[in-house]
Amino acid sequence: MTRLHELNFFIKLGVAFIIMLAAWFAPDWRFGVPLALVCLALLWGLRVPGLRGYIKGAALLTGMVMVSWMINLWLQGLSTPQALPVAAAMAARLVTTTAAFYFVMETSSPGEILAAASAARLPSIATLVLSLTFGVIPMLRDDFERIADAQRSRGMEIDDVGLPTKLRFALARGIPLLVQAIRMAHAISFSLTLYGYDLKHKRTTWREVGLMVEQRLSMKDKTYEL
Amino acid sequence: MLNIANLTIGFGGAAPVFADTNCMLDEGQRLLVCGEAGSGKSTLLGVAAGLIPRLIPVAEFSGQVELAGRSLPSLTKKELFDTISFVSQNSEDQLWDICVEDVIAFPLENKSVERSAIRDRLTELMTEFGLEALSGRRVLTLSGGERRMVTIAAAIVSSPSILVLDEPTTGLDPAARVRLSNILRKVLDSTPTLLISEQDPLPLRSVIDSIALLRRGGISPSMPPKMVLRQDAAWIDAGILPPMRAPPARQTAERGRPLLTVSGLASQLSRSRGNPVLKDVSFDVRAGEVLALIGRNGAGKTTLFKSILGLTKTTSGSILLDGMKADNWSVAARARKIAYIPQNMRHILFNMTVLGEVIFAITASSASSSDPAVIARAKAALERYALSDLAEANPFALSARQQALLGLACADATGALVAIIDEPLLSRDIKGRQMLELFISSMQSSGRAVMLISHDLELVDDLATRLMILDNGTIAFEGTPEEGWKSDPFRSLGWQTPYDMTAWSMA
Repeated sequence: MTRLHELNFFIKLGVAFIIMLAAWFAPDWRFGVPLALVCLALLWGLRVPGLRGYIKGAALLTGMVMVSWMINLWLQGLSTPQALPVAAAMAARLVTTTAAFYFVMETSSPGEILAAASAARLPSIATLVLSLTFGVIPMLRDDFERIADAQRSRGMEIDDVGLPTKLRFALARGIPLLVQAIRMAHAISFSLTLYGYDLKHKRTTWREVGLMVEQRLSMKDKTYEL
Repeated sequence: MLNIANLTIGFGGAAPVFADTNCMLDEGQRLLVCGEAGSGKSTLLGVAAGLIPRLIPVAEFSGQVELAGRSLPSLTKKELFDTISFVSQNSEDQLWDICVEDVIAFPLENKSVERSAIRDRLTELMTEFGLEALSGRRVLTLSGGERRMVTIAAAIVSSPSILVLDEPTTGLDPAARVRLSNILRKVLDSTPTLLISEQDPLPLRSVIDSIALLRRGGISPSMPPKMVLRQDAAWIDAGILPPMRAPPARQTAERGRPLLTVSGLASQLSRSRGNPVLKDVSFDVRAGEVLALIGRNGAGKTTLFKSILGLTKTTSGSILLDGMKADNWSVAARARKIAYIPQNMRHILFNMTVLGEVIFAITASSASSSDPAVIARAKAALERYALSDLAEANPFALSARQQALLGLACADATGALVAIIDEPLLSRDIKGRQMLELFISSMQSSGRAVMLISHDLELVDDLATRLMILDNGTIAFEGTPEEGWKSDPFRSLGWQTPYDMTAWSMA
């Protein structure tokens, strides 16, 4: 983890919006594609967790956008040299946007978002919505991986198989993932009630929040063991 | 202080869990409720904590619950949860992906307590609970025992008048149980009234002042521990192994051929100082034996079985399964030889019916089969573990006990050579223990073996034919349990020897 991961959530969110605006206002592919590549390089340089998975997703997204836009533009009568830059520009915009928000999502835990929102004295409902929106997706992804491990540890061969089988097994994880998502929603709702979370009441935070958000409580003689 | 009168509660089954039951908790009382799995301990605690039926609706509910003379439903949520704190048996039920400090500080943050006061309280509690090393860690990455300590710390952070703890020692090693006992005694000034459920009353013996037993849809009057602890018949009547029982005859088994051989294993996963969690671990598991693995919370037991299964990477060492080198085998290939039964079965269930889970265990590819032999084998496994009536039920709808039985049925049906049982829930429950023993004898008689990971040393003493102690990333002891309890590695853990009644008598 680099210190940039510890930036205040709202600063990260603001920067992501600016990058997104830059991508969407980019005049053409000659600006958009390099911007997307710079964003991807930054994700790699900043050692954002789960980057391999994101790159696969981004590659799939790029391919789908390129193909669908090319077909659309061909149907409208454009030639390939005319259609290609337009499709590339659109794919670049989407990659830049997703990369910017992927950084925010992967480097902001629900606790840090709660702290930043509480320190900003935001209404509790806004605090909750922000924490859940950005916090639940990584949790669900972890659960998806955990279910895959459960399948493997019960003898289901999901690695040494062809892509179609791999995809079929991944889809089969949908039902347990849905069950887990419902359980997670219940656990969050239960803990919020039990610990006195009140939508009408502004909260405080134990963390020091400024430009950066404190990651852990500093205590004397702290040792770290698993 | 808390009065439950004429309570009838049911979940839509043939008979209610409680029928016309009364229970009273006086101010300053520290009541321990004991009962077998499924006897209604969690239900009673849920009612006492005001969760049922307010947050958890039930099919049938009648009776009155009063807190300091006020009806519980008339209290606002704030009034209720400022007075009563609750810790669930399954700590995952009240945790989400925030860090240790966030969980503990959450109740104070919601009350708008000043930052400096929250930090002081956090430091105090994290030190008392021995959680300093976990600072900044996401709670969902912690071990079961560590999570439990975090949730208990969160429950007492705002000094509630009543603390309700549902099986709080589950997953805690003996040292952590002693630490919890000390903490609960220490907070009695600010949190004087305790309502705790457990199957084993001894770990919290020094905290409690009364015990009530659940049986046949009711609850006994609360009695002084000294009076009830030695009444073996009362415990047997409640479906629990008597806490002061004499140890049974020690298990022995002839060691057959090696089924699993681990040599020089070192894990890639390291502690913060760079030391691998496991270093140079070597042992074997042989046909017919029950090998118990014990060690402190966080000693690396989970990392060890994950490394054996191939779920975490290793940097050196080798694994032989049934004499074949398995280092390059996929997780799935290894899992066909090793069945893993976690304490929380929800972690490995993903099919839509109980029968489907067992069929999947046999086929390792699908929850349905057109092969009559597979279906017959699956049904026989369900029958063996008394789950036939639940064959078409959703596994997630089963109780924790039924899920544990399903775990045994699946592991038995797979035909795996070695079953790894991680902290079985069924250890203190007479019926559950019978099922566990049935499973073990089935494995042993068919030339297979069981690896038992547990903090319940009496369970280990009762069932294990061999003992290993994992400490500092290595196997510090390997031998018979009898030798193990006298060994230096065991003494260095500072744990009480199983069936050492003199220590409990002094408590």
